Amino acid sequence: MEQTAAFEDDRLKQALTLSLSGDAEAFADLVREHQGMVFSIAYHFLQDRSLAEDLAQEVFLELFQSIDRIQSPAHLTYWLRKVTSNRCIDQGRKKHRRREMALEEAPEPATASDHADPMLLERLQQSLATLPEKQRLVVIMRFQEGLGRPRLQKFWKCR
Amino acid sequence: MHFSEDDLREALKRKDPGEGFTQRVMARVNQAKAEGTAQPATKKVNGKFLSWWMHRPVWAVAVVAMLLLAFGIGGYQYSEYRHAEENRIARAKQQQLQQEAEHARDQAIMALEIARAKLNHVLQHAQLQAEPNDKIRRQRL
Repeated sequence: MEQTAAFEDDRLKQALTLSLSGDAEAFADLVREHQGMVFSIAYHFLQDRSLAEDLAQEVFLELFQSIDRIQSPAHLTYWLRKVTSNRCIDQGRKKHRRREMALEEAPEPATASDHADPMLLERLQQSLATLPEKQRLVVIMRFQEGLGRPRLQKFWKCR
Repeated sequence: MHFSEDDLREALKRKDPGEGFTQRVMARVNQAKAEGTAQPATKKVNGKFLSWWMHRPVWAVAVVAMLLLAFGIGGYQYSEYRHAEENRIARAKQQQLQQEAEHARDQAIMALEIARAKLNHVLQHAQLQAEPNDKIRRQRL
């Protein structure tokens, strides 16, 4: 298990180094590795698939522009969480003038929800949507990303 | 309604953005590269700033004119202030020199007065001593 994690870390380090030298395939590898995290934070915060996808794409575009500032795979994860959170808050504030996408244009979800109780899920999402933006992000970071209290505090202080 | 931690974890588990997401991101990256917008963040800010003004020439001209006017008025007021200040300093200096000259004149007058008084005193003494000798000389003649 530890060996797998170390191997994964090495792979990401290598992808990061290659991305810095302009290797598109290595950057695509970084995107593939982190797209679930970035998209899910945005999706759980905004509860809008198309907006979340747009936002996630912008985050990765920003990553491409700032890749020289990323020091390690752990820093990359932290940076992505931070930038996604900031963008979510910005997006939430200008939601009223957002561009709505037609239903046909919206990409289909890759995996259907396998939640046992769709009613419960819906209520939970409704409750989440009523939370103030910072608290909503804390809940997402806690339960989606599994951040413990010290890391949540650190994350929040550095925002 | 209360939710358990497991409910929250289940509801907030990571979701996949769907097929082709990586390709769409890479397409945007390539597009940005082609447009020359995929630059370091600082350069992008400058570019955005400049392009904002380039798309609003009337605003740019108005702002430049306002700045020139403000600098012109400010410069004129400052030069006027400097001029007035120089005049005030020159006047004050002249006044001071005049006062010093008057003081020196008063002191000179006083010194002359003292000298005149002393000379008168000496002259009177000399006259008193000379008077008996004159009488004797006149009698001999």
